[in-house]
Amino acid sequence: MSNQFTSTGEYVASEQLMASVNVAIALQKPLLIKGEPGTGKTMLAQAVSRSLGKKLIIWNIKSTTKAQDGLYMYDTIQRLYDGQFGEAGVDDIAHYIKLGKLGEAFESEEQVILLIDEIDKADLEFPNDLLWELDQMEFYIHETKRTVKAKQRPIVIITSNAEKELPDAFLRRCIFHYIDFPDEALMEEIVKTHYPNVEENLLKNAMDVFYGIRSLKDIRKKPSTSELIDWINALQIGGISADKIKSELPFVGVIVKKDEDLEIVRQKLD
Amino acid sequence: MFVNFFYTCKAKGLNITLSEWLTLQEALDKGLCESSLTNFYYLARMILVKSETDFDKFDMAFEETFKGIASENEISKNMMRWLDKSELIEMVDEEERFRMNEQDGLFHDLDKDEVEAKFKEKLRDQDSEHNGGSFWIGSMGKTSFGNMGGNMGGIRVGGQTGYQSAFQVIGARKYRDFRDDRMLDNRQFQLAFRKLRQFSTRLDIPKTELDIDETIDKTCNNGGCLQIVMGKPRKNAVKLLLLMDSGGTMIPFSSLLNELFQAVHKSNHYKDVKTYYFHNCIYSKLYKTPECENGEWIDTEWMFRNLDSDYKVIVVGDAAMAPEELYSATGNYRGPNGGLSGWEWLLLLKRHYKKVVWLNPKMAPGHAPWREAETAIKGLFPMYKLTVDGLNQAMMKLMLNK
Repeated sequence: MSNQFTSTGEYVASEQLMASVNVAIALQKPLLIKGEPGTGKTMLAQAVSRSLGKKLIIWNIKSTTKAQDGLYMYDTIQRLYDGQFGEAGVDDIAHYIKLGKLGEAFESEEQVILLIDEIDKADLEFPNDLLWELDQMEFYIHETKRTVKAKQRPIVIITSNAEKELPDAFLRRCIFHYIDFPDEALMEEIVKTHYPNVEENLLKNAMDVFYGIRSLKDIRKKPSTSELIDWINALQIGGISADKIKSELPFVGVIVKKDEDLEIVRQKLD
Repeated sequence: MFVNFFYTCKAKGLNITLSEWLTLQEALDKGLCESSLTNFYYLARMILVKSETDFDKFDMAFEETFKGIASENEISKNMMRWLDKSELIEMVDEEERFRMNEQDGLFHDLDKDEVEAKFKEKLRDQDSEHNGGSFWIGSMGKTSFGNMGGNMGGIRVGGQTGYQSAFQVIGARKYRDFRDDRMLDNRQFQLAFRKLRQFSTRLDIPKTELDIDETIDKTCNNGGCLQIVMGKPRKNAVKLLLLMDSGGTMIPFSSLLNELFQAVHKSNHYKDVKTYYFHNCIYSKLYKTPECENGEWIDTEWMFRNLDSDYKVIVVGDAAMAPEELYSATGNYRGPNGGLSGWEWLLLLKRHYKKVVWLNPKMAPGHAPWREAETAIKGLFPMYKLTVDGLNQAMMKLMLNK
């Protein structure tokens, strides 16, 4: 099948995750991805885009983002200025309508992947404001009385860090997947996709330390997958020999970022 | 099809709607589960369950509905061998009958219940092996698909229990994160919190609003040439600090606290909201979660240093404690107290913050000198009963200048 997502060279997806992506594509519903920071939620969209060979449009959500921003913006002020100086085209409102990321995805001639990244950062009502647009894949521009309708239904992937609860009405329309923290076997595979030539001993010792730190109860911020990858990179570049990793914890600042945590780690892993 | 499953899910507390159910039917129609029970499990979960905190409930419902069904590839050789030796003629369950033709007739008399129990046991063991354990585990550290015993304790958390002694509740999983259980009827609380607002344009936010008056002025001064003036939108400047008692005597009120907590977090018009928990009285550590686990805490002094005196403080607690818990420098059950008694910590709190109110879910009406701790704290902070009315009064108190 053409529209089937599989793991790529750079991204290792668990079977369930692949199934979720494919179900979401088949049912034409947005896929909501939750999981600990650093488990590769955002990277998933890139991997899907690469695997399916489709363009990726990323809509990064910030605390000030409004649903309208994703649809279109009417640049009134530019029009006022232009009106002042009698610029050509002022009478054409369409000239001043700029499509947002969602609009861009709808207008695309080919099917695209739309990533709505970290939706929970926005205002509580934000997801509700997008219900109709994501359901019907269309919106209406009042100023020009034009309806923008998706030419090809985009594949929508939404990520959330669970900072805020999402509204029920929104959740009802999504396919949900929770990315579990990878176990050691999967983690090994993930690291190896990044550094295929990593030395076995180094990898093993680094992973031991990494999972050791994660298992500490009183740690405030658990190190994530991406931090482990950075750490292994640092260890390789630094040419640290594998047996020193456990005893000296070189570059441990890459995986442990808080002073208090660092203290705990040094105490416990002595 | 599977209507039974739908109602079982609902009975386990999953909020599944018809539209999600129809989506699942559509997915089945499209053959997305490929006739496998395992695939069906994931398919149903990804469509019906929208939070990892509900995975456990879903597992329970799934087990209850489909426990009798095990597809061919999920039964180990071991189990087949065992089945082959057994007397199963009396068995009523379909899957056992399905295996009838596999027996060879060399049987001893076995008690039917015993066989069934053993079968179920094997089935369970096998399940967890087959799935490598982690498959059936929800993210919240719940036990596996089959191990219901552990789960039962996990589901029935907090709320109804009547335990009152501090030592009995330590270690029991009676607290739940207040955020997990959704309460619908807290609109009145939310409305009360709306009172807590103080608009200001002096905040450090970008100028995003068109200031029409200024724009007209400037444009006129500019000889009619348009000159736009932007201003900062008016925003609520109120910062809120919520300190909640999560001690043993508060358990009967956990659903009420739930609503309060939800209401505060749904009122997103504050500049900042911080929530910490304590056990009976405030000492040198404040906990970040309602479980009040050692280590999951901040220093109370850190809070004084970092959350300035403009924070409006709402303390929620029943102020029910033995006098020594309040006055003795060694009276605290949990965590360190930095050498000060609870009373001294409360005095520090009062000295640091300009506005503090205490909400008490079981405040005695009128004067109640026999409740020593409550009476003492009442003298320190304005105390209100935790009702919609009391909350309204407390909010007024927080907003008034003296």
